[in-house]
Amino acid sequence: MVDIASLLTSLVYFGIVLAITWVAAHVGSSLMGRQMSRSTPAVAVLARRAVWLLVWSVGVIFGLQVLGLNAEVLLVFVAVLGAGVIVSLRNPIENMGSRYFTDVYVPFRVGDSISVNGFSGKVIEMNTISTVVLDDQNHLVSIPNTTFMHDITVNVTPRAWKELVVPVVVGNDIDLAEFESQVMKSLGKLQAHFDKRFPPVFTLKSKGAQSTELTLLLYIQSPEERDVMLAEVNKRITATIDSVRKTK
Amino acid sequence: MRRGEVRLSSLKEDLDYRFSPGGVTRMVLPLLKHMQRSGLTKEAHWVSLNPTGPSTFSLDGTILHSIRLEKSRLRGYGMVKETILGRAHGIAEGGAAAREMFWSEEFAEYAHYNRLTAELIRRLDSTHDFDLFYIHDFQQLPVGHMIRSLKPKIFRWHIPFEESVIPDFWAEPLSTYLNSYDLVVASAGTYLDSIKKFGYRGKTRKVYPYVDPAAYSRPTPAEVAEVSRSFEIRRRDEVVLVVARMDPLKGQDRAIRALAAASREMPRLKLVLVGNGSFSGSGLGLGLSKSEVWRGALVKLAKELGVADQVVFTGHVRQQQLDALYERSALTLLPSIREGFGLVVVESWLHHRAPLVTSRAGIAELVKEGENGTLIDPDDVAGISEKMLELLGDSEKREGMAREGVRTAKLCSVDVGVRDESKMIADLVGG
Repeated sequence: MVDIASLLTSLVYFGIVLAITWVAAHVGSSLMGRQMSRSTPAVAVLARRAVWLLVWSVGVIFGLQVLGLNAEVLLVFVAVLGAGVIVSLRNPIENMGSRYFTDVYVPFRVGDSISVNGFSGKVIEMNTISTVVLDDQNHLVSIPNTTFMHDITVNVTPRAWKELVVPVVVGNDIDLAEFESQVMKSLGKLQAHFDKRFPPVFTLKSKGAQSTELTLLLYIQSPEERDVMLAEVNKRITATIDSVRKTK
Repeated sequence: MRRGEVRLSSLKEDLDYRFSPGGVTRMVLPLLKHMQRSGLTKEAHWVSLNPTGPSTFSLDGTILHSIRLEKSRLRGYGMVKETILGRAHGIAEGGAAAREMFWSEEFAEYAHYNRLTAELIRRLDSTHDFDLFYIHDFQQLPVGHMIRSLKPKIFRWHIPFEESVIPDFWAEPLSTYLNSYDLVVASAGTYLDSIKKFGYRGKTRKVYPYVDPAAYSRPTPAEVAEVSRSFEIRRRDEVVLVVARMDPLKGQDRAIRALAAASREMPRLKLVLVGNGSFSGSGLGLGLSKSEVWRGALVKLAKELGVADQVVFTGHVRQQQLDALYERSALTLLPSIREGFGLVVVESWLHHRAPLVTSRAGIAELVKEGENGTLIDPDDVAGISEKMLELLGDSEKREGMAREGVRTAKLCSVDVGVRDESKMIADLVGG
């Protein structure tokens, strides 16, 4: 005989799981959308849907278990689906991963002239999947980001070795003008290590509701000081953010 | 009228405020007025440094927004401004200071002012959706880079830009900032050539600065008599007029030396120096004491040369008095060491007075030697004195130059300026 009270309790739990799943799916897909905001809109939509589907699959499996139903078949189905997605999206996923590493470790940026895998030209776009280069014949060459992980890339931009590009994110509670002038004053103490023909230049990348993204461009005197200068500049930026926030 | 906005027309000049526009303001205000009157613009917003003014006020339909800086910051900003100004005019000494300027604490204050300006422009743009940003002069050069907008950006370089005097180690920062603009406007062809040589890759345009001829009226004999009495100019005095702010760049010392040399042959010669400090050089503005120091040096020089009673320092004068002084003068002199353009020469022409013009001014390319004026070398005091005497002794020649000058002045009228600027803006905006 069916225990009505137990069934009702299970249904309530199932409902709670579905509600939590609904919230998690919305939060997850929205976070993914934000993360992919600079990608092609179609790719961003696809990524949001994938997160949404994944969260709901996990939620439904968990919900079925709460109801006491056997979810193994569904679990196998989800596993197979996941494996299929990974295999079919292997290249885009690799490229996305490579994009992260090229961003951090491969020294070039939009506007630089590079040479890689027999192609050379000016970098005009760096997206999640590929880096787009305009070659000497005005052809657009799309180079998958994974290329930069296994091929030798040469940045032929004059003075590229001198450039130190520091990404900066400042909360909107910080006075941007005050922050900028304080950083410039702080970096002035290190001026012997920089090429003085180039002032520190902050470039605004985006301004969101919560924070402002900037890059700070500096030119160093000695290439071997690159790492230590980057660490020092970042330390001074963090200290300036704290100090400007405290003096508010 | 917006909440909290002050309408300048509701205040009384010289009581509630003092209107002392510099060259840029004198030019841009009539442009905006004409553009609004003719329907070319619906709304114009003007963002500039104004430490003592209200945060927002309106003037002839233009909304002016003041950027305020604390006194400590004003000093640093002012020092960078003066360094750039001095270097562009080729007079600054001390290469080390100029070389390290971009890493100095003062430059951080200059960047601070520019960032405040850029952020205010960005905020205004988010509500007004501007079609175009038009940035005037070197004080706001980094703003174009800082506002980071895809909308068209024009920069007008008002001061001299000659590759021979601008330090080559400034090429990188100058080109970084200049290249953030779609179009750079300058007052002389040679400046545009130099700007390109310094690495600017965008479009350039030459537009002569302009004035509104209607703003210059012929004074009555009574007004001339009154101004002569005020400044102790006697009936038989031969008056040479210099209209320029009190600044070593303006070369008033050359004018006094030339007067001293010329007065040996013409003892009734009188030099009238009109103008006081600029915004930077005045106590009301950046608080730099440059103009007072310079005036003191000029007074001392006149005494040393024995011509103290022949040199009149009028300080700031009202437009009506200035018109009367032009009328009372025999000729005008612009002895600047270097001059971005030299609108006072146009004023001289509009007042039918022959000008002696420094050859190192943008307007020198409009001066046809002996036809509408005479060019002088500001470093050649004997030459200035000689040309001064030559013109003072030939009234027919002066009148001929004045007549021709009136024709040349049309090239610098607000109508021509508005036409050129409107076309330039339409080309850029696509209207």
